Amino acid sequence: MKTFKRLTIPYIVWMVAMIVIPMLLIVLYAFTKQGNDVVSLQFTFDNFKKFFTDPDFLKTLWLSLRISLITTVLCVCIGYPVAYAIAQASPKKRNLLILLVTLPMWINMLVRTYAWIGILADNGLINHILAFFGLEPTKLLYTDFAVVLGMVYNFIPFMILQIESSLAKMDKSLLEAANDLGANRFQRFKNITFPLSLPGVVSGITLVFLPSVSSFVIPKLMGGGGYMMIGNVIENQFISVGEWNFGSAISMIMAVIIMISMYITRRLDKGDDTVRARKGGNVQ
Amino acid sequence: MEMEKKKLIQFKNIVKDFDGQLVLKGINLDIYENEFVTLLGPSGCGKTTLLRILGGFLEASEGHVIFDGEDIAQLPPYKRELNTVFQKYALFPHMNVYDNIAFGLKIKKMSKDVIEQKVLKMLKLINLEGFEKKDVTLLSGGQQQRIAIARALVNEPKVLLLDEPLGALDLKLRKEMQYELKKIQQEVGITFIYVTHDQEEALTMSDKIVVMKDGEIQQVGTPTDIYNEPENRYVANFIGESNIIPGVMLEDYKVQFDDIVFDCVDFGFKEREQVDVVIRPEDLDIVKEEDGKMTGIVKSVLFKGVHYEIMVETVPGTRVSVNMQVTKEHDITSSDASEKISANDFYVDIEDVKDLNDAEIIARADAQAWETQEDEYISISKIEYDIKEEIGTYPVTFATSNGTSVSIDVFVVQQQYVENPKANEAIAAFNFFKTVDEIKESAALDTDLKTWANAQSWKLSDESDVEISNVEYDFDPDHITAGTYQVTFSTQGREFKIHTTDIAEEGAEVGLTFFPEDIHVMSKMGF
Repeated sequence: MKTFKRLTIPYIVWMVAMIVIPMLLIVLYAFTKQGNDVVSLQFTFDNFKKFFTDPDFLKTLWLSLRISLITTVLCVCIGYPVAYAIAQASPKKRNLLILLVTLPMWINMLVRTYAWIGILADNGLINHILAFFGLEPTKLLYTDFAVVLGMVYNFIPFMILQIESSLAKMDKSLLEAANDLGANRFQRFKNITFPLSLPGVVSGITLVFLPSVSSFVIPKLMGGGGYMMIGNVIENQFISVGEWNFGSAISMIMAVIIMISMYITRRLDKGDDTVRARKGGNVQ
Repeated sequence: MEMEKKKLIQFKNIVKDFDGQLVLKGINLDIYENEFVTLLGPSGCGKTTLLRILGGFLEASEGHVIFDGEDIAQLPPYKRELNTVFQKYALFPHMNVYDNIAFGLKIKKMSKDVIEQKVLKMLKLINLEGFEKKDVTLLSGGQQQRIAIARALVNEPKVLLLDEPLGALDLKLRKEMQYELKKIQQEVGITFIYVTHDQEEALTMSDKIVVMKDGEIQQVGTPTDIYNEPENRYVANFIGESNIIPGVMLEDYKVQFDDIVFDCVDFGFKEREQVDVVIRPEDLDIVKEEDGKMTGIVKSVLFKGVHYEIMVETVPGTRVSVNMQVTKEHDITSSDASEKISANDFYVDIEDVKDLNDAEIIARADAQAWETQEDEYISISKIEYDIKEEIGTYPVTFATSNGTSVSIDVFVVQQQYVENPKANEAIAAFNFFKTVDEIKESAALDTDLKTWANAQSWKLSDESDVEISNVEYDFDPDHITAGTYQVTFSTQGREFKIHTTDIAEEGAEVGLTFFPEDIHVMSKMGF
């Protein structure tokens, strides 16, 4: 036991140096004025005020949340049936299907996203096909649609894998029991399979929502130079504008929003429990 | 027992194969209303498969399942009027006790207050009142078990299927649940079909026991029938402990075994039919030698709590003794002392000479060669012999590629063997030669001695192998010196297991007695 404990020391040191200290620095920057030196720290809420009073920033925040939410919902809607099909397949087929799902991740994300640009561009593959059938060319690239497509495409494997693993490890005798007690396939899915796969769905949501809300590469490439999500704003503040303090403040705001949304998701999963307990309570 | 009961389930020639492997080989079985039926057999006998076919989770390859007069082969599980208690309960972990039990009723869209009434009644039946809001995953195994039963029973099925439901419980709880299950069955008055490999469970609870083996039914009957009148050796062995002795039915009410004729109550066999005779250990009594129907020597006494388990040997096993000539080291060292070679003389049966080849001779002579410096084995590359199928002594020479060689003698003899017609056995072994070191280094001396002496035993009637269970010798293997020693091989004699509250002393000569009705005669199993 002791040796194992000692083995965690490098990780803890790494965590402190690379995560805890930078996070504390972000907090420090967010609450201080531009141009501090070590001797004089000037605390302020101005950075936050700036964000919440500027309608442009709020609009960007709203756009980010909306795009990420749509992405997450689409990932659940598309990912669940796929995961279900994979979990139902024979073990051999299952491994192959999982390989197919993870295969795109072997290729760099940028390369894959550029491929989509090629497909969606005004003179890209889809518009060529449309022209071939004599249809009007459509603007696909540099739209919300393109951004959502890019995100769903990039993040859906996480959703599928999470749901699939929770479905696959489900005790098959529970399904037999449901059948035995008179449930048909649909009732069985609704009452047993789906509720029991919820933890997988929740962690899938976490794994999709988190990267999409803070993503800045995909919006930049698929949405075009002027397309701004909150990730791009933060990037700009640090790289182009050089306002580290304001950038840190936005990062903190995002962190809080993410924490709140995670909390809500968890509650939704557990909420099932509370409803259940209340129903049970009515009995007496 | 009133026999006016209605047939509820009929299995008609049920065959099931999994990828060509026959798991059920034509099961015919009737199950009546309100019966507690147990399917009993070891794992792999097909009992669970039969239950799953009835439950609708598997489809029979051939045959019909008639339920209440209707063939239900095409009916999916959720439309069958039966419910199952699963081996590991299969309670829904995301629901509390109430919702688990109410599941089937909710599916049937019953009204809320009816559901509530029924669930509460069930909780009362299984003695878990007030548990409705509890999380099922936090309950003990016994409580989960009872909830699984309630969840099935609340649907008021005509038949309850139970698949080894007590397997995961500890012994004490299992006993309690046996009574509880029987009580519940009598209270609700429906048919229970219970699958288990535990014969005691089957005897305790069942109205009817179906003993299965390798996909076939061996016997169907009440617990007392099955225990007292087993139809064959397999059933007798599986249910309770028993002494099973091959014998001959001389005429009605007269059976002979171990050369003694006994009175019995069995009849209807062919004259001089070969039979198996069962005597339960508790039916045998130990008496004074002169009062016994049989006599024997007490081999072992074990205290079992309520009784002693005593083994008495009435017929000694068949024995043969051989000489083992032990020599000191006889390695041959090469001229430059770089390698050594050794081999033993050996005896061979004249009939086995034609089977001798290089490898066989090396093995029998235990010929070995090794490098002295590294102590590594080297191969024997040359072997010279000319052994004829005639009695006599023949030289054999083994040599390495460097020319280091050793010569031994092979004695071709007519094998002597000991016959024991009373036990229908014969036994044979050869004299053999060994070195002190080989005996000292042996890790499993009894097995090695059997191999070295080529000891074998067989049935006189059909030449099938008989196990040599005892090896005796007159030396101390750790301190053996060169010389000639005697090794005796023997088979297991006839031993009777006796359960009695009287103690007997090991090694004592005693008599055994029993009543004619304690003997049960069965036909030999037809394999």
